[in-house]
Amino acid sequence: MSLHIGIVGAGTMGAGIAHVAALHQCTVSLYDIHDDIIRRGIERITADLKKGVEKQKFSEEEMTAALKRIRPRTSLADLDTCDIIIEAVIEDLLVKKDLFKKLDAIAHHTTILATNTSSFSVTSIASVTKKPHRIVGLHFFNPVHLMNLVEVVRGEHTSEETIARALEFCQQIGKTSVKVNDSPGFIVNRVARPFYGEALRLLDEGVASVEEIDRIVRSEGGFKMGPFELMDLIGVDVNFAVTQSVYDQFFHDLRYRPHPIQKQMVESGKLGRKTKKGFYNY
Amino acid sequence: MKANPSRPKIQQGGSSTKKKTGTRQQNVESSILVVGDDSLVAEYSAVISAHHFQLLSPEKIKSLKAFAKKVSLAIELSNLNLEQKKKNLILLDAALPATTAILSSSVTVSVLEQTEWITLKHRLAGIAALPSLLQNSLVEVAPSVHTLEATMEVVKKFFASLGKEIAIVQDRAGLVLPRILCQIINEAMFAVQTSVASPGDIDTAMKLGTNYPLGPIEWGEKIGFDQVHATLDALFNDMHEERYRACPLLKQLAVTGKFWSK
Repeated sequence: MSLHIGIVGAGTMGAGIAHVAALHQCTVSLYDIHDDIIRRGIERITADLKKGVEKQKFSEEEMTAALKRIRPRTSLADLDTCDIIIEAVIEDLLVKKDLFKKLDAIAHHTTILATNTSSFSVTSIASVTKKPHRIVGLHFFNPVHLMNLVEVVRGEHTSEETIARALEFCQQIGKTSVKVNDSPGFIVNRVARPFYGEALRLLDEGVASVEEIDRIVRSEGGFKMGPFELMDLIGVDVNFAVTQSVYDQFFHDLRYRPHPIQKQMVESGKLGRKTKKGFYNY
Repeated sequence: MKANPSRPKIQQGGSSTKKKTGTRQQNVESSILVVGDDSLVAEYSAVISAHHFQLLSPEKIKSLKAFAKKVSLAIELSNLNLEQKKKNLILLDAALPATTAILSSSVTVSVLEQTEWITLKHRLAGIAALPSLLQNSLVEVAPSVHTLEATMEVVKKFFASLGKEIAIVQDRAGLVLPRILCQIINEAMFAVQTSVASPGDIDTAMKLGTNYPLGPIEWGEKIGFDQVHATLDALFNDMHEERYRACPLLKQLAVTGKFWSK
């Protein structure tokens, strides 16, 4: 049975989720407030799909069929019959809460409402709805069509049936899912914190240089990238924001305290590859 | 592997030292003595003998006087029991010729603190010895303020002959990778303890979500939870910071060894 998936927000994450869902036989209603935002989203999906064809991951016919399954939508009310609606708007709790209040009113009572948040509590988002048992976190990773993981986040009121259907959806779109109870940073963003935080402390204490720490982590640890080159790739500002968010949500537990070096780099505009300057010059 | 075969002391000064270390010649006769934690001794012995070095059995440390001249390099690998480490280093320092270098794990105690236990401080250099790390291509080496260049030359040649590159880091307990790795494992343990997710799901998430070569729980099992716990404990005692406090579940696993729920 093919699912009908609604996606709210046609930015990087929304487009990525639409790409993967459509490629795996789902009908996708892709919503955003303006036609041109959706058009840009679909252009991005088309470009990524073309790369998939070039790499012979799927055929040109499959690409064309996938694109046909994506329907642009500028009215939220058109999402009412979706099996699952996935929110992928900006990381702003008030914006998300406002949206979920609307979705809760519009969507059919069997529709699952999922949030792709990486930094807010699913329970907190669900608190503005009348049916919190159908709210779940579906945390995808960027770029969605290349990263195979989805964290399925159980809020305080999320029902077993909602979790089961969310897991089934992940399987249908070819993703590996892990179950997480709602807590700051879920699994990945939390457990990865010391990889960066400890490296920054080692640097600050003069134990080794940026280059040496990266080389050690790669060659002695077997990691694909060292902490500093990875921060440059992700964006020092993005990495700092995640650290700050986990720290705040744990009510300033010292284990998660951000490092001043990172803040200073953000304030001086050394954000990594995207600004050509970070821990390295590009 | 001798730093300086004919002189009673490892010589001071850069250029003359280099000349002397270049004259090593008795590899056939000489052996390497490896002592310390069982898992580390086994791992180091396997790699060392695979590279055609003679190994002395660790028990030889008890009758070291008789073998002392045959020992070209001694490696002390205790992380868990620092009293035992101290005893081993005192024995090695007393018995081995002054020109013989000693490599010692400095994961749970800095090299400088270790030099306080021995007389010939210049011959000691630290390494990041944590089980499973020697499988990879790089070894961290930490000289203390006392370590002579001649000692470092011995260390460099030794690891080069094992096909390993080295990174020289400042002498701090935990060095670089053990400190980062044990912190990640500890954080994963806190997540398990508070039922955020299952150990298996945490391993899957870290491998797929951030490209880690191993999941933190399986990595902890491979290193040994006792070793991870000892590393964190040493960092906590060194810095008295909350972030190095070992998770209670990790402490339990350090005793029981296995992850029973997996």
